Amino acid sequence: MRHFLLQISLLLVVSLVLTSCSLAPPAPVDEPAPASADTDAEKIIYLGAAVSETGRFSREGKDTRQGYGLWLDWVNNEYGGIKVGDERYKVELIMYDDEGDPDTAARLVEKLINEDRVDFLLGPYSSFLTQSASAIAEKYGKIMIEGNGAAQPLFERGFQNLFAVLTPALNYTRSALQLLAEKGAETVVIAYEDTAFPTSVADGAQSWAAEYGLEVLGVETYPVNVADVSGIMSKFKELEPDIFVGGGHFNDAVLFIRAAKELDFNPKAMVITVGPSNPKLIEEVGADSEYVIGPTQWEASMSYADDYFGTAAEYAARYEKLWGEPPTYQAAESTATALALHIAIEQAASLDTDAVRTALRNLDVVTFYGPINFDEKGRNAGKPMGAIQIQNGEILVVAPTNAAVADLNYPAPPWKDR
Amino acid sequence: MDQLLQALVSGLLLGGFYAVMVLGFSVIWGVMGVINLAHGEFLMIGAYLAWGLSRLFGLDPFASLALIVPLMFLVGYLLQIVLINRIVERPHLMTLLVTFGVSIALANLFKILFDADPRNVAVAYNGSLQLAGVTFPIVKTIIFGAALLIMVCLHLFLQRSRLGKSIRAAAQNKTAARIVGVDINRVYAITAGICIALTAAAGAMLSPTQAIFPFMGPPFTLKAVTITALGGLGRIPGALMGGMVLGITEIFVSTYVAGIGTNLGVATSFVLLVLILIVRPQGIMGGLRPLEPEAE
Repeated sequence: MRHFLLQISLLLVVSLVLTSCSLAPPAPVDEPAPASADTDAEKIIYLGAAVSETGRFSREGKDTRQGYGLWLDWVNNEYGGIKVGDERYKVELIMYDDEGDPDTAARLVEKLINEDRVDFLLGPYSSFLTQSASAIAEKYGKIMIEGNGAAQPLFERGFQNLFAVLTPALNYTRSALQLLAEKGAETVVIAYEDTAFPTSVADGAQSWAAEYGLEVLGVETYPVNVADVSGIMSKFKELEPDIFVGGGHFNDAVLFIRAAKELDFNPKAMVITVGPSNPKLIEEVGADSEYVIGPTQWEASMSYADDYFGTAAEYAARYEKLWGEPPTYQAAESTATALALHIAIEQAASLDTDAVRTALRNLDVVTFYGPINFDEKGRNAGKPMGAIQIQNGEILVVAPTNAAVADLNYPAPPWKDR
Repeated sequence: MDQLLQALVSGLLLGGFYAVMVLGFSVIWGVMGVINLAHGEFLMIGAYLAWGLSRLFGLDPFASLALIVPLMFLVGYLLQIVLINRIVERPHLMTLLVTFGVSIALANLFKILFDADPRNVAVAYNGSLQLAGVTFPIVKTIIFGAALLIMVCLHLFLQRSRLGKSIRAAAQNKTAARIVGVDINRVYAITAGICIALTAAAGAMLSPTQAIFPFMGPPFTLKAVTITALGGLGRIPGALMGGMVLGITEIFVSTYVAGIGTNLGVATSFVLLVLILIVRPQGIMGGLRPLEPEAE
């Protein structure tokens, strides 16, 4: 009997491992193909990306795909192709579904490089996947430019070929915490998923809390794909903090809000990464999302503009026309990613990896998404992070002050008074 | 003190859910000697059904039980006749292989049907009640109440009704049951129907409290093994006790271990299982020993 039970336990463990790895092979994904008259002389730049279509990042992955897709549609059909010296190159983008799995992402990037022979790589969604995907790109000396991986460890590996247009994760909560400190908040608790991006957000939150005189009462971590965060929330409830900071991805935001309400945990402000800036959160949790604050890389109401897509608002209108929904910041940063590569190729006047890498290093432009200027580690150091709050079912920018369209509502009333 | 009381209440509520979640697994094992490795997948199907009914018809997950339970009873009944009856009296390895196959097939079928995206069921009454300084999450309290009700009903059914008695008879001594005229195959099919329906009901009740995705099943199967090892096969009071022990342990670990409590809580049931196997391989309440001596 003992052996028998041990066998069962072993079998169960094996089944867990097997099922958590995806068993189905990744399928190539249809994207708006470059509308091109196929002449023999036509020159094409091939780009490749592994982006989640299914899996835990499917929602953010869709925004990323659509962000890339918008640039692709525009560069081929409207702009007339990337200018390299005197010639125009059409662009073809090959995308695969990484299913939210880092090993799959790595395998697909290897396939893009070796089988599809792409010229440049665009990043996947999330730091978690960028971590493994960029390691393969580095191994083959291919440039990977990305707009959806902000975790600090990504840029501490001495990689020469990874460039990120978004504000680094350490700065995510900065403007929100600064604003809340000004409004009189004094204490903060932090919960984060123990993976690269949320860990960087939480590290940053702790240092910004110290900077703005906020006392950190408690820090808790939780595993990937957590099913229930009520243990964390009931612990935090005892501490009665002014601010709750939650670092994770979209579904964690749903869990945090749900658990806070269920346990009658009433922080005066909830700052949650990734979820709040996406209109889908309001759909999922309804009125309970009111007063929730989230960092944002970009909002359509910000005052940036460029010669390619016009103002941020014009970009948003173009996006909505193409995809039938307003852009999230994940979509905008994905478009900006492709645009940065586009500008660098034009400035280098070459498709040579070394020339384009040098051009990216020297890049200093302002786009509809904000300033892009890479530091020696490949991060976009110049761009500030904004903050939004959900007010009356709308996502409104409350920080930084020069882009704000609404005042922060603070403190949030307790659940029973809503 | 407040925190201790709160942790105890949260643990009991979680334990009540675990107890109802494990019933189907434990009764199938106890009555037929089949270890259903696809247990968690039937829970997942219940959760998806509740999600679908709530999306399509705005049906409340608890109200949808009225549809899910009969439907899944039928699924369980047919599954037993078509598949499981063929392996019931075979060596244990066969039952493991077949149910493991069913588990993989179901999880991947649902991945194809619904993607791997996590889904959520929202209910309007997801707030809380305050009682004596302790917070009772409304949804979880309802689940607890429903779990107790289901367990009492199942207990009465097994003890009092004629069919319940034949199920127990089949579990205790197949040969004798056959001799006195019990139709074993029919009894097995009804047992499987009841167990699958119960498991799906547990999944449906769970749906408003956590994300639903195709690969959510295996952790529940593992927890079911732990609870069965704690509480014994097919014993309802045992399932309740085992569920409570696991629920309270998980919540206490995540409440009182600073920083990484939630991570450790997830590991608790596996640590418990290993400890039980080392200390009492036959199970805590004498439970894992087969009820019929000649079955081995």
